[in-house]
Amino acid sequence: MHPALQGLLTIVIGVGGCVGYFYFSNVLLDRVIFPARGRDMGRNINRANMVRPWLFLFPAIFALGLYLAYPVAETLRLSLTDRAAGGAFVGLANYQQMMAEPKFWEALRNNFMWLLIVPAAATGFGLLAAQLTDRIRWGNLAKSLIFMPMAISFVGAGVIWKLVYEQRPVDVEQIGVLNAIYLALGGAEPQTWMTIPLWNSIFLMVVLVWIQTGFAMVILSAALRGIPEETVEAAIIDGAGPFQIFFKIKVPQIMGTIMVVWTTITLVVLKVFDIVFAMTNGQWETQVLANYMFDKLFSANDWGVGSASAMIIMLLVTPILAWNVYNARKEMR
Amino acid sequence: MFPTPIEKSSQGRQFAYKIALPIALILWLLPLIAVALTSVRSAGDITAGNYWGWPTSFNLIENYTAIFENTPIGKYILNSFKVTIPTVIGAVALSCMTGFALGVYKFRSNLLVFFMFVAGNFVPFQILMVPVRELTLDMGMYNTITGLALFHIAFQTGFCTLFMRNFIKAMPFALIEAARVEGVSEIKIFWYVVMPLMKPAIAALSVLIFTFIWNDYFWATVLTQGADTQPITAGLYSLNGQWVAAWHLVSAGSIVAAMPPVLMFFLMQRHFIAGLTLGAVK
Repeated sequence: MHPALQGLLTIVIGVGGCVGYFYFSNVLLDRVIFPARGRDMGRNINRANMVRPWLFLFPAIFALGLYLAYPVAETLRLSLTDRAAGGAFVGLANYQQMMAEPKFWEALRNNFMWLLIVPAAATGFGLLAAQLTDRIRWGNLAKSLIFMPMAISFVGAGVIWKLVYEQRPVDVEQIGVLNAIYLALGGAEPQTWMTIPLWNSIFLMVVLVWIQTGFAMVILSAALRGIPEETVEAAIIDGAGPFQIFFKIKVPQIMGTIMVVWTTITLVVLKVFDIVFAMTNGQWETQVLANYMFDKLFSANDWGVGSASAMIIMLLVTPILAWNVYNARKEMR
Repeated sequence: MFPTPIEKSSQGRQFAYKIALPIALILWLLPLIAVALTSVRSAGDITAGNYWGWPTSFNLIENYTAIFENTPIGKYILNSFKVTIPTVIGAVALSCMTGFALGVYKFRSNLLVFFMFVAGNFVPFQILMVPVRELTLDMGMYNTITGLALFHIAFQTGFCTLFMRNFIKAMPFALIEAARVEGVSEIKIFWYVVMPLMKPAIAALSVLIFTFIWNDYFWATVLTQGADTQPITAGLYSLNGQWVAAWHLVSAGSIVAAMPPVLMFFLMQRHFIAGLTLGAVK
């Protein structure tokens, strides 16, 4: 069959399935199981209405249970067992083994560095861009352009930045943007940027900052526009300068949004994988937890340690998760 | 008017603004500009070191046809569409239903289920890798597009439900009550009252999910292998490995790979930004 036709068929079956499931299960509930007639009419209507939400929820809960809840439990189990010994329970041995590896500590250290730098830089640049572009006529165009990297995949961005960091021998013209700039500014000889420890991690972070700044800018710019004008007006009448207005009037009023943006980017950072994988694959001391885990599972084929490191990522995410659930609850009251 | 338009402020500052901003913008886009320029150069230009000067010949058509002829990039792109479109439709359809249930009905475990979805949204995907891979293998769907799409639908449903539920919750509830008083059945309320009002949310969510899935690389490597099933992100990675030195081809490839989401973004910009704002702030 022609692939386009096949795709169309899949879509029809999928959508038809959804609508069909939804329609017929409701009909079944209302007509057959709890019919709204006869002696128990009132009670049946109430019963049907109690069951109905679960009809809507069932497909999603089933899917999430299968692909989310079960795998989390399974990974926890794997991290406590030894696959080579037929899945025997080994307690915390995998964690101990992981702690003994210098690569793990390197990954953890790098992850913390990413956590410190990337959310701060992306939020800061985003705020700056939002503030500056709000005041010019071609601001919307500038915003679109700043935002564009957000639409590019991490792997694509990794490949693009690899070209930026590319290095050629001394006597040839440099094709890497960074080396070209470095030499133009009086650098002695072209550097292989990806092999200089510490700096290479920072160069990888630049890629993520480049992608996430657009996101921060869009959200923060919406928040900045929501600030009541009277507050800014009052400050100007009182003689506040532009910096005072920005830091003492505007920023405090959008603090909530800044926190949301910060945590969202923090989550992205904790899971960062594609960029490191595509650009250095954790060589030259650029390892991060997610890539360490991938390495353990696929290259070393060590499921125990790999799962243990996945649990560490989970552990790091948990405070943010709890904070978000707490916030969602507060909002509900 | 606040903020004061820059045209009304002092000469010096206006000048700084007009000069500094475009320069900053060009610096910001320099990687993209470099890639775009490289993709129209000939291989000879790059090896000869004529990189920053005017290209000796514009190889736009040659380079772009070369990647389609010499590599399976067309296949990769087709696969990307095959994974992305069903996922968008499936996840949005599912989340319309769950969002409706959580937003409209008041039942005892409503909050609990909602918080489950919130929590599920934050689970790092790495933790799912091994079990999901095993599960897909057991179901006989390893290395199939269906397997990859099914997983994406399930995983995205958490975020989508959150999004839809908040959107429905913000709708005037009186509409639904009025329909109920008129004796309209629940399914008709969903279809004729709630769904039409959800159109902007559906558009925003579709654009968001489209870019998320198109740009996914992790699950593509975990659940598929080879040019017959892998999407373009994975394709780009392996092509980059194959042509280490052929930067003009790699550049053309990465531009082709980025085209659909970037086009989507420019065409549906309003929805995209509305989606991001709704999803993040709520």
